Amino acid sequence: MSSVVVESIGFGIVDASIISIGAMGFSLQFGLTNVFNIAYGTVLTLGAFAAYLAEQWGVVGWYDVLIGAGVGVIATWLIGKGILATFARRNLGLFELITVSLAVELVVQYSVDAADGEQLFSYSFDQGRALRFLGMVFTVTEVEIIGVAVGAFVLLECLLRLTKTGKALRAVAEEPRLARACGIPTSRIVNVAWVLSGALAGVAGVVYIINSLTVSAFTGTDFLPLLLAAAILGRAGSVSGAVVASLAIGIATQLVAAVGGTGYSTIAGFGILVLVLLARPGGVTSGLALKTEVTL
Amino acid sequence: MSFSSLDFYLATVVVIFGVDVLSAWGLNLQYGYAGIPNFSFIVFQAAGAYTAAILTLGPMTATSGQTYVAGTHVPFPVALLAAVAAGAALSAVIGVFAMKRMRADYQAAILLILALILNQFIVTDTSLFNGTSGLANVSRPLGSLVNPSTTGWQWAYAALVWAICAVVLFAVQRLSRSSWGRALRAQRDHDAAAAALGCNVVALKMQVFVIGGAIAGLSGGLLVFYLQAFNTASWGYEETLAIFVSILIGGVANNWGVILGTFLVQIVFVEVPNLLPQFGYIGLVDALEWVVIGLLWMAAIALRPQGVIPERRVRAERFGLPALRRALPAATAAAAPGQQGAHEERLGATGGASRR
Repeated sequence: MSSVVVESIGFGIVDASIISIGAMGFSLQFGLTNVFNIAYGTVLTLGAFAAYLAEQWGVVGWYDVLIGAGVGVIATWLIGKGILATFARRNLGLFELITVSLAVELVVQYSVDAADGEQLFSYSFDQGRALRFLGMVFTVTEVEIIGVAVGAFVLLECLLRLTKTGKALRAVAEEPRLARACGIPTSRIVNVAWVLSGALAGVAGVVYIINSLTVSAFTGTDFLPLLLAAAILGRAGSVSGAVVASLAIGIATQLVAAVGGTGYSTIAGFGILVLVLLARPGGVTSGLALKTEVTL
Repeated sequence: MSFSSLDFYLATVVVIFGVDVLSAWGLNLQYGYAGIPNFSFIVFQAAGAYTAAILTLGPMTATSGQTYVAGTHVPFPVALLAAVAAGAALSAVIGVFAMKRMRADYQAAILLILALILNQFIVTDTSLFNGTSGLANVSRPLGSLVNPSTTGWQWAYAALVWAICAVVLFAVQRLSRSSWGRALRAQRDHDAAAAALGCNVVALKMQVFVIGGAIAGLSGGLLVFYLQAFNTASWGYEETLAIFVSILIGGVANNWGVILGTFLVQIVFVEVPNLLPQFGYIGLVDALEWVVIGLLWMAAIALRPQGVIPERRVRAERFGLPALRRALPAATAAAAPGQQGAHEERLGATGGASRR
């Protein structure tokens, strides 16, 4: 393997860490609610902007991630419980709900765009010195980003495997009606999913700009297709699946970037999502292809 | 504003209105009548526009300052037909995999992402259609009849656009009232029932996807000959959403309602702000327009999903039961003579089933 390929794999692992944080959240949210929530992208943007503003006010470093997580929870709660749940109560179909989430995305994205004067802001974050590992180059910050992703994954897996809430989350993701019949408070469990996914989206947005060092109104929207691809490829509702799929997608897009340039790497990432959606019409298993009920 | 500039502006609005109505009819055929959530509709308009542009720009030269493929000089009508063909051909290619039976929200997401991919592809590969700078200096057609630099030419072109609109309206109305159109609505309302009655649901969707694509290509061709320029910013995915909102507000599956919706959204909301004095920085008005479009969308879905002028209920008597019996020989033959009347009544009702 040439050194370019090895280096691309290194970049891919960093990308995958960022993708996986967002994808875990989307996977959890989509797995439980069955709403294809495109407005998830704006939560990333809002989290990133919160971090940028915090930095302007003198809050620097990893504290920004916590701020992003908080803003992500609030934004997701408003979008999910405030808007999507209201529309879902009108017995709208899956298509109408995706259009509503797209409209929310449009409104928030262009409101931010109008408010910030359509600019690209630069975010500063000390990247630290370069470290070499098996031919791959990582900065200290990149290693820390990988650490955040691994930490989020371990915490989430522990929650899902070891606690009662986690068990209920998995049950509702699998079969909401049966879970409700077993006495699981479905709506409270879905609320937990909204909060967790919101926090993860906020963290993903901040970590994304810690790596890219720029933020605009379109940051989250541009990044969204990769998250969706990873979440759906990894089986909606499965956190470990999202992480494995993120690794595959992160490395694949970086390899394409090494060969054909960044424009084509974006195309490759979007293309993976289209292929995933076409190949897995159920998103999860074939049984869930028929699942058209929304749990909000 | 002087008289001549108002005249110029009015002619432009009339042309843009015609082009927008055309594309809204194309999308209405796909979404309103067939239920296809075509979020990549604008791509097919772009295909038509680029095709018409490169076919009339002539071969690429070193001094033209733009890069594109397959530059030739063909007459205006040929270029317009090629634009139609380009829209239809691209639709056929995408339809092969996007028209498979799948969850409606997955189909919507696939088509939306395809619009992003294709736009990004044209941005990245500048050798095709000159990337983000786009194609310019497309010459105005019919120059031998009217001087292209006068407002007289603009009004002549507006008349041509609306003449084409009249033809397309006639065609889409005939199509939607035909047995093919009834089958389209039947599969939209209940695809399993339509399939059980012998409709090939996938083939129907494929056909309407290609026809809608052809109309999109036509609108793109007409647009580029008027604007004389076209670039990747002209066909962001948001443009499709604006057409969707026109349909949702005007009337889903109602071609006359779509004219009203297009007027309200594309002319009142998008064009009239250009007349108002500019405020804020450049681009603020555009950004706010998209905010309004998004809010309109949510309001339309929340308040009146069928639009201001809803779809007309189709009554079974208008087609006559003999026609239905001819269309469904197996079904009627299988029915026992005593039950036949009730059976036909039910069959007739499926044609008129309302959307919700």
